[in-house]
Amino acid sequence: MLTSPIVLGQIVVNGLSLSSIYILVALGFTLLFGIMRVVNFAHGEFAMLGGFSLYYLYAVFKLPWLLAIVLVPFMVALPALLLEWLVFRWFYQKMFQSMIGLLGLNMAMIYTALIAWDAFERNIPAAFDGIVRFGGIIAPIDRLVTIGISLLALAGFYLLMVHTRWGLAMRAAAQDVDIAATQGIDTRRIYKLAFVVAIGLAALAGALYGQIYSVSPFMGERPLFVAFVVVILGGMGSIPGAALGGVLLGFTESLLGTLYGGSVAAYASFGIVILLLIFRPWGLLGKPE
Amino acid sequence: MTNFKMKATLAALLLAGSMLPAFAQETLKIGAIGSLSGGGTAWGLAIQRGAELAVDEVNKAGGLKVGDKTYKVELLMRDDQYTGQGGKTAAERLVFQDKVKFIVGPIGSNPVLSTVQVTTPEKVLLMSNGFAPAILKNDHKASYNFRFTLTNVEYAPNMMKWVKDNLKLKKVGILVPNDAIGQQVAPALVKLYKESGIDTIADFYERGSKEFSPLITRMMAAGVDGFDLNFNAPGEAGLMVKQARQIGFDKTIFQMGGPSVPEIVEVAGKQAEGFISYEMVDFDQPSVVAFVKAYEAKYGKGIMNSQTPAFYNATKILFEAIRRAGTVDDTTKVRDQVEKIAGYDAGIYGPVRWTGMANYGVDHQLALPFYVVEVKDGKAVRRATLQVD
Repeated sequence: MLTSPIVLGQIVVNGLSLSSIYILVALGFTLLFGIMRVVNFAHGEFAMLGGFSLYYLYAVFKLPWLLAIVLVPFMVALPALLLEWLVFRWFYQKMFQSMIGLLGLNMAMIYTALIAWDAFERNIPAAFDGIVRFGGIIAPIDRLVTIGISLLALAGFYLLMVHTRWGLAMRAAAQDVDIAATQGIDTRRIYKLAFVVAIGLAALAGALYGQIYSVSPFMGERPLFVAFVVVILGGMGSIPGAALGGVLLGFTESLLGTLYGGSVAAYASFGIVILLLIFRPWGLLGKPE
Repeated sequence: MTNFKMKATLAALLLAGSMLPAFAQETLKIGAIGSLSGGGTAWGLAIQRGAELAVDEVNKAGGLKVGDKTYKVELLMRDDQYTGQGGKTAAERLVFQDKVKFIVGPIGSNPVLSTVQVTTPEKVLLMSNGFAPAILKNDHKASYNFRFTLTNVEYAPNMMKWVKDNLKLKKVGILVPNDAIGQQVAPALVKLYKESGIDTIADFYERGSKEFSPLITRMMAAGVDGFDLNFNAPGEAGLMVKQARQIGFDKTIFQMGGPSVPEIVEVAGKQAEGFISYEMVDFDQPSVVAFVKAYEAKYGKGIMNSQTPAFYNATKILFEAIRRAGTVDDTTKVRDQVEKIAGYDAGIYGPVRWTGMANYGVDHQLALPFYVVEVKDGKAVRRATLQVD
């Protein structure tokens, strides 16, 4: 019965929906690492701020959802430039120091949020109620919208990185920051741009994540964990790797979770990561250091 | 100084001296332990806030009158990080450094069990929660600790009877967190279902998970006609309700234990309609309405965790026992008064009744009435009132 076409279809729908969220969560994380060599342990907390931003814009101030979701990345990423100046810039190109420093920032952000917003979980009402049925397979509309937005974000991000001069400058800085600087690239500005894009993506991911699940000061824990697994699978710093890692993790969880249960899915996800770290530590699409 | 001035000064000093006892208040320090960091924070805040509301009440009324002294009560809250080690450290700080004789909290078997190890030899009175039977059933017969909420041992038999008679289920899906509590308590629940003639399918998930659709799909394919969200944290249970409804599960979803209806309604939104749950508090009762009002005045309109009234109740019972014992130092006398306090009503749960002799060998388990509620138009509506046998 578990392998009936309907169940298999449901596995695909669940897998697609999970993958799209995972990709979005991992993109900003891998961008910061790829360009600045910063392991952003506070990534989940920017996602949390994205969740709270959408909560206030859409659920409290009743802005139209589309406007709210467009505003969220700016609401989080632009004020976050202050944190870039205060904290992040000191850790650029210092991978290990960045882990400890940003773990501290992560704690500070969680507990500031706890003081501001209390510990209980909030719901952002679904913007698109209802479900779509394909035969016996059921897909909630809000999940389909999330898949769509993730695809749009991924496409926009790809265009920015591959077809704009800014993207070219970011890629140049990622390859060798000193040589990029000697070629006339203002690396400080490029770092700031990459920071805004990465944090904006984290905030967007957090907003969608918060709407599908719930919003609370502790909600960032899971996205950070997911981002880590996805970029290790795909390769630290690799954008296509983040996409591939997200799809792999999403479908592994959906398929094994449905067929064999939650524990098997968790073991398998970690098992794949461990095997990969042993035999291909730079990830599926990463480059060996 | 002239003679008159000297006399006047002396008189003023004497007058001030005679007035002194009326104003000078000693301070009674009460300890509290709960998680103020990590995933159990909502529960830790519930302990802190429940105890704070009781402390505020007694201080506002002029202080706690014990014998011929009146004490201003001060609450010292310590974080246990929802771990055994954290509970032990918090208890040691309160007992040895702050020298408290009375502690409210913690929640959760691991922190409670390790806190008891510190407090019992020191004869410090502990008013806790925690599901593990060993919290009360142990070598020292829980000599200095009491439990203020029901565990599955107390509520499950009558709750199961209600479920069997009213929900008419054939096969129930149980989603269990893969931790010590889930692994220890789930087999007992599965057994209870079996004895009631209801099939179960139980599966584990990692704490902190947000996505349950694959597990729910799996259980739906196995033909469950109900989900019991007994062991799940409020946020997790809310997501399970939401996701089950989103992938088309239109049968019964209920919770045999772990009451958290307001949180589940907040997270699941409209999808929570029809959700059935065990509930510890009758929110329609006037004294509870007043309590919620006091809570909102102090902490804002956010959701109140169901454990908050339990620890308000525990703290009030502790104050009453101290008052009756007439001492803030002799914890044995206070303990004896807690045992004899049956009939005292702290306002939320009705008159105190102790139970536990049959299950734990000591009557240190509070027997509370409990309720079955159903979510209708976003509100919990009572369907039944049940009692502990």
